Amino acid sequence: MPTNNVQSIKESLIHKLQQPEDLVFKENHTKEKYMEVLYIKSISDEDVLLENVLKPFFEITSSKEFLDFLQSHPKASEYECEQKTIDMVMRGVAILFYQDFVFLFDCKMDRNNAVMDTTVETTIQGPQAGFSESLPVNLGLIRQRYPNVSLKVESTTVGNLSKTKVMILHDTKFVDPDTLKRVKKFLDAIDIDMFQTGEQLFDIIKKSNRALFPLMLVTERPDRVAINLASGKVILLVHGSSYAVILPTVMKDLMSSMEDIYQTYWIAKFLQILRYTAFNISIILPGLYVAVSSYNPELFRVHLAMSIAGSRTGIPYPSFVEVLLMLFMMELLTEASIRLPKAIGPTATTVGGLILGQSAAEAGLVSNIMIVIVSFVAISNFVVPINAFSFTIRVLKYFILLLATIFGLVGVVIGFFMLLAYMVKLDSFGEPFLTIIQSKPSKE
Amino acid sequence: MNRYFLYLVLLNMLVNVIIFVPNILIQYRFEGAVMGVLIAIPIGVALNYLLSTTINKFPEQGMPEIIANSKHRWLKIIHFCGIQWIWFTAGLITLVGFIDILDRFINPEMPKMALLVIYLAAIFLIIQLPTDRVMYFLEIVLFLNTPLIAFIIFKAFTNDYLSWDSMLEVGTHIFERPSLKSIAAATYCFSGYTNLIIFNRLIKGRLKIWNFFAVFLLGIFNLFTTFFIPIGFHGSDGAQEFQYPWISTADSLRLAYSPIERVIFLFLMFYMSITLISISVHWHVSFELIKGTFKEKISKKKNLLILIFYAGCSVAGVIFLNTILLNKITVYWMIVRLGFEILLVVIFFIWTRRWTA
Repeated sequence: MPTNNVQSIKESLIHKLQQPEDLVFKENHTKEKYMEVLYIKSISDEDVLLENVLKPFFEITSSKEFLDFLQSHPKASEYECEQKTIDMVMRGVAILFYQDFVFLFDCKMDRNNAVMDTTVETTIQGPQAGFSESLPVNLGLIRQRYPNVSLKVESTTVGNLSKTKVMILHDTKFVDPDTLKRVKKFLDAIDIDMFQTGEQLFDIIKKSNRALFPLMLVTERPDRVAINLASGKVILLVHGSSYAVILPTVMKDLMSSMEDIYQTYWIAKFLQILRYTAFNISIILPGLYVAVSSYNPELFRVHLAMSIAGSRTGIPYPSFVEVLLMLFMMELLTEASIRLPKAIGPTATTVGGLILGQSAAEAGLVSNIMIVIVSFVAISNFVVPINAFSFTIRVLKYFILLLATIFGLVGVVIGFFMLLAYMVKLDSFGEPFLTIIQSKPSKE
Repeated sequence: MNRYFLYLVLLNMLVNVIIFVPNILIQYRFEGAVMGVLIAIPIGVALNYLLSTTINKFPEQGMPEIIANSKHRWLKIIHFCGIQWIWFTAGLITLVGFIDILDRFINPEMPKMALLVIYLAAIFLIIQLPTDRVMYFLEIVLFLNTPLIAFIIFKAFTNDYLSWDSMLEVGTHIFERPSLKSIAAATYCFSGYTNLIIFNRLIKGRLKIWNFFAVFLLGIFNLFTTFFIPIGFHGSDGAQEFQYPWISTADSLRLAYSPIERVIFLFLMFYMSITLISISVHWHVSFELIKGTFKEKISKKKNLLILIFYAGCSVAGVIFLNTILLNKITVYWMIVRLGFEILLVVIFFIWTRRWTA
């Protein structure tokens, strides 16, 4: 499509781009032909441009042949409208002005395309590579693991300013059309300025923006993505993030590790039971300690009740203060060890865990049993394989603790069931959150 | 979903311990309770069968949807407002009774109002859920608790101090003239099916005949356990000394090697959740029936008014009803309930036949 007003387009583009420092506008001449190139050098790959455009430009002598070359080059596309062209230039596309034609030549620089090792969801065996921070590379990784024609890839942009590219992947054979519709509607409705990674969706998913439970799974593992595609889930890949988002997510997914399928049947079942037990312990134990030591010491057999009471004899305040103090200390320790540089990290754990715990008990601030319980709770918390969910559990236990402080044993039991009822109420894109034990409403 | 029907029946069988059924039965153990139980079983199973098969003709519809386009709107309102009282009072008696139990056995120093507050908070959270979610919650609660109750029953049956002779002694009074009160109390175990008038929304397809067979067997086992185990533990004379025979029975059990030595705590923790879901199911039915009387979708204000009314009734109940009074009222409530239940089932049966004919 030859355009006559090349000159006006050129001027308007240069004017709108406001002449930044890294803008390159270059004229090229040979005896027969003349071409102008415009791009931003910091985000365009000059090697690609040199190899694919400039070299042929000087090698092909005939001007007609070079036009044919450009028109048939897979990376070159023709000019459509000004706004789109400006958007493309800002993403690293070069503009070629040749004769009466304007071409957009894709020479985006793909930084951060190194595939990284998994650091968050580690497994002992199985694949160890995670995603990279480049969208095409990530898509390639998934395609390699999932070579099926039914894999459909669509893309959209999210973010008013960031205009981040988001890819929606799903397997047309397995996906539930209602879920897909809900996901697309959700993505269209997002109103946010800067969208940089899938984790930002955690809060946006709830209309009230006050979500406690993660209703989507953010993963760094291509193998997890592939297996979820096969079970009919929708995957979101976000440009510039090495994490993929899996929708819809129910509790079963949040409690599963990829290792479950790399183990023998009974081992995997055992590990799952272990995780659910840890989940319950982590939520209930602090509250139960308060209820048992302050309200119903007769719950346990005499020896146990005596040893708890004996351990608490020197403690000058009620049990809930003791629990709060110790839990607070543990939270600080957890937070600090995330923030600290790797070199000082172990020091914090030693000081906090060993010295502080030991001396707090010796100073008579907390009982020995309390320290055992707090460590128990902390360890149980880390057993949960998905990090976002383990953060949720960290908060949940305070709810039970509060009810236990006010209502005793009744508070613990009813609080636990209130949490259950809340989880029953939740759903992620139409799928009930607790699908592990409850049946799907539509499929039976 | 056939199993949903069983859950509802099973729930009532479990919760009868709280709502004074064992107490009433044991009170009349020499005056016709045995015969009453035997008569209650066919009545219960027959009512189960009648209502379930009738309402089965309207798959995935609750009572409000079935009568939604009835011409006699006022008749509908009176009908719903009338029958919702059965469910509401069932929940209320369970609630007041259980608050009393908690006050007596778990937290004697805590004001009853505090216990009521947390219970109402949890109940109001649950009854406003959609019907299918209430059912999921019921399923999860039963799933978590069934191993525990099976264990307690197993411990009770294998206990050395269970006196089979006392049970036989009571059994010899089988030919006494049955008393209405004991029949009414015993049929309560079967009356979980009445929740179907709302929970039929979830039941797809026909209920298979083995469901009623299961109800029959479960009912026999349940009534036998409810009635005879306390007698076996406390003797045929001693059993009537207890206001809550089953809780005292649980307290007679001891787990020699467990960190929790006294079974009563396991038992009460188990019943905290069973009672919670039982009240929630009953009040959910009542709540949905009230909602069904309004033509349009219920507004937030009306919703809040209903909840305030529920809360007010329970506060009044906890203040004014002591254990003995509640027990006496429950005896008569059982009879009224049985009457209403039969009336409801029969009217619905006839109405459906005329409607479909």
